Amino acid sequence: MNSESEVMPGDSSIEPLLEVRNLHMQFPIRRGAFRRTVGFVKAVNDVSFHIRQGETLSLVGESGCGKTTTGRCIVRVYEPTSGQILYKAEEQERIDLAELDNRDLRPFRREIRMIFQDPFSSLNPRLSILQIVGESLKVNRVASGSELEDRVASLLRRVGLRPEYIRRYPHAFSGGERQRIGIARALALNPRLIVADEAVSALDVSVQAQILNLLQDLQEELNLTYLFIAHDLSVVEHISHRVAVMYVGKIVELATTEDLFTNPLHPYTEALLSAVPKPDPRLRHKGVRIRLEGEVADPSNPPSGCYFHPRCPYAEDRCLHEEPAVREIENDRWVACHFAEELDLRGFEAIG
Amino acid sequence: MQPTHTRLDDPAKTDSQTLLDVKDLKTHFFTDEGVVKAVDGVNLSLKRGETLCVVGESGCGKSVTARSILRIVPNPGQIVSGEINFQQRDGEAIDLARMNPKGREIRKIRGGEISMIFQEPMSSLSPVHTIGSQIMEAILLHLPVSRQEARKRAVSMLDLVGIPRPSEQLDAYSFELSGGMRQRAMIAIALACEPQLLIADEPTTALDVTTQANILDLIRDLQQDSGMAVLFITHDLGVVAEIADEVVVMYLGRDVESGDVDAIFHDAKHPYTRALLQSIPRYDSRENRRLYSIKGTVPHPFARPHGCPFHPRCDDFIAERCNSIDPPRHKLSQSHSVRCLLYSAADEAPPKEDALS
Repeated sequence: MNSESEVMPGDSSIEPLLEVRNLHMQFPIRRGAFRRTVGFVKAVNDVSFHIRQGETLSLVGESGCGKTTTGRCIVRVYEPTSGQILYKAEEQERIDLAELDNRDLRPFRREIRMIFQDPFSSLNPRLSILQIVGESLKVNRVASGSELEDRVASLLRRVGLRPEYIRRYPHAFSGGERQRIGIARALALNPRLIVADEAVSALDVSVQAQILNLLQDLQEELNLTYLFIAHDLSVVEHISHRVAVMYVGKIVELATTEDLFTNPLHPYTEALLSAVPKPDPRLRHKGVRIRLEGEVADPSNPPSGCYFHPRCPYAEDRCLHEEPAVREIENDRWVACHFAEELDLRGFEAIG
Repeated sequence: MQPTHTRLDDPAKTDSQTLLDVKDLKTHFFTDEGVVKAVDGVNLSLKRGETLCVVGESGCGKSVTARSILRIVPNPGQIVSGEINFQQRDGEAIDLARMNPKGREIRKIRGGEISMIFQEPMSSLSPVHTIGSQIMEAILLHLPVSRQEARKRAVSMLDLVGIPRPSEQLDAYSFELSGGMRQRAMIAIALACEPQLLIADEPTTALDVTTQANILDLIRDLQQDSGMAVLFITHDLGVVAEIADEVVVMYLGRDVESGDVDAIFHDAKHPYTRALLQSIPRYDSRENRRLYSIKGTVPHPFARPHGCPFHPRCDDFIAERCNSIDPPRHKLSQSHSVRCLLYSAADEAPPKEDALS
């Protein structure tokens, strides 16, 4: 990251805004006439991390790795099977969101908001922009009438839309504009933490650039904290302060963006980085692409030992039997691999 | 069908190496609200064994161009003018634009000489037929073989695209396979009759990076072995840099710039191409954390700007000229051409730095 961020969000002395401890989320698999539970999909399996105020932490991984489920547990769309989600509200003690019931959660729902991937299905086509963005203000009795309109208009201005559009319906907007509406809706109650689930994945590159710039501007202005869930590593590299890589429900590596991209410690991170297409034809045959054999493991029936061992080019006997614990190798650098110290893995630049 | 850009069309151009030559193709959609000019004058040409990438943002007409070639443009779309010259295997050149889209001839070409793979393998494969029967259908339609031989060939196709245990997977349904395997199965169907041209419409967009890398490798390997040409449609410039030989950049139904991949990435001329290249997040852009973004949005299809379609969003807009003159295709070199008044005036290329530096 750039120099100023090293002082601000990278500073480990700040108490984290959110700390997730040993989060588990299991979905039952039901079969037969009596819907008997025959097994569990361990979508999130012992995940721990923290996010500091003003920081962007990205969760990356392939589809089915549990990154979205983790995000949904934090906004409490799902009730986690076990684990803690410690949230530090302003001038309050830390509270475990995982324990609260719906009524007690209400004040926190204002502070933790979500932006969704698909700007076409996440806005109700029968509501006007005023209704969509203003809904949470109305429900929480923050504003009504002409004050509500003013608030919505200023939110629209903030995300770069013209306030004249306030009475229009979602169909009149392009994908990028709809994503801005989704962002305005998330900002309505002055949130502190925003969970952005693949917020730019469905957008074209030029629109994606606009939205990424907007998210960064808003972070600076409002001191927002982002949990950014994405699969596009060049976007993640651009926007994040720290990155957590997930594989089959577990975090396999967590580090600052710079460390993770230049000097990955987990073989899966290395493979992910090597698979990213570089936007320069002159780099085409430079470097080695690591082809991952086989498929992502089944989270209802994961392999023994390290979940990544069947696809790992460096796997040894130990990996088959012994599950590697997530350990802190350096300050703020976590990895789950037996051989993290011995392996010499290639980062982004070395490949490119 | 008057050629409006005489500068490019010398008659000797269609040599035997050219497999596909699309000239000034226009595909319009006649809706109740008006005419949507989805493709409005596209030119592209593809040599045997080559990979041509068509890039552009949503709504630029890249998919409609691909569908026009196979004549599978959905209603109310119609090809209104232009040529799609295709060199058949027997050496005879035909104009696909003139064919009856429901006729025998085009059906012989679809799947036989030209195949297509789609973005979403789940919705383009039949859920009620096994993978094997879908491959065999293509083989039995186009090749004079028995069912047994077709089955054998289907197994070898699945093996070729890297599906493990091919003889077992032949009887699998599409929902039993993972996303990457489904895409491999679709490639197997497309390649079953050894087409000369494979049209791939965003084949890796719905896939994870690791799977995408494997599928790109697969397409490249298959191409090397069979010598087929690939028309690859994508919005991802990273993918373009990985696989393209030639690139066509499209904006609002036009080819705004075309050239070999190195020229497009390192010597881009059209302001739109440059802007696209600058909007991708890059690993080396450590200093400036803000991305370049093109001002404004893609105009509504009913409100096409006059003159150059890009002029309302262009940084190098020349008043009086760009909004009135439709820029002709201007040839910068043998392979590089651009539609922009900055260049066609008097070859006065403005000194602009490399888009990548």
